[in-house]
Amino acid sequence: MLTDHLTPETVLFADRVDGWRDAIARVARPLLDSGAIRESYVTAIVDSIADGGTYIDLGFGIALAHRRPEDGVVRTALSSLRVAEPVLLGDDPAHPIDLFLCLAATDPHNHLETMSELAELLSDESLRTELLAATSAADTQAVLLKIGQNA
Amino acid sequence: MKFLAVCSSGLGSSFMVHMNIEKVLKELGVTGVDVDHADLGSVGPDSADVVFVGADLADSVGGLGDVVVLDSIIDKEELRTKVRETAVRKGITVPAGDAS
Repeated sequence: MLTDHLTPETVLFADRVDGWRDAIARVARPLLDSGAIRESYVTAIVDSIADGGTYIDLGFGIALAHRRPEDGVVRTALSSLRVAEPVLLGDDPAHPIDLFLCLAATDPHNHLETMSELAELLSDESLRTELLAATSAADTQAVLLKIGQNA
Repeated sequence: MKFLAVCSSGLGSSFMVHMNIEKVLKELGVTGVDVDHADLGSVGPDSADVVFVGADLADSVGGLGDVVVLDSIIDKEELRTKVRETAVRKGITVPAGDAS
């Protein structure tokens, strides 16, 4: 369940961040602290973005930072960072990001429910709008509880 | 008939597109289409009948045959439109084809 992953410890907000590298470092921090990922996972994400990999830009100002399990995932986890001012992913004006998600998945097929909920959360227009409007972890959790209710 | 969602890692984005394609096909009442996902490095021209990718990979999928490019991989409306168009183009019956 997403509500198990996006908790007050992993749902972050920042008035100001110092570019996309800072945003990635911040959103990954709770997962590093909890031991869900290794430092190598963050490095892999940063390297791929620096290398022009803006594929994590999902659209609508949302980025899903992730790499492969072998890049340093210890266990499945998810975190989020809402930035007050859009951050340019890879310093590219074509990729302004308001919400960074950091996904660590050991094997997504073992986490079908979490991935399915994430897909619905981000693809449902009203849920996505509410998620972007959340200003606290409690707001975010309230949105998560609506997943699946109007499917 | 097989639709394949492809992204760089084969994990996050393509998996979400895979699940959303399945939802859209169900909403459209389309049956008989297998949906799967994969990473860019493991797919070839014979991997699927139609490959769905995000705009970032539009330039990397030249050799993969029939490719549908999604401007946003989480835009359900865009996906619904493009899946419906693709199904019609492939001669698949779309029972709810006129619905928006």
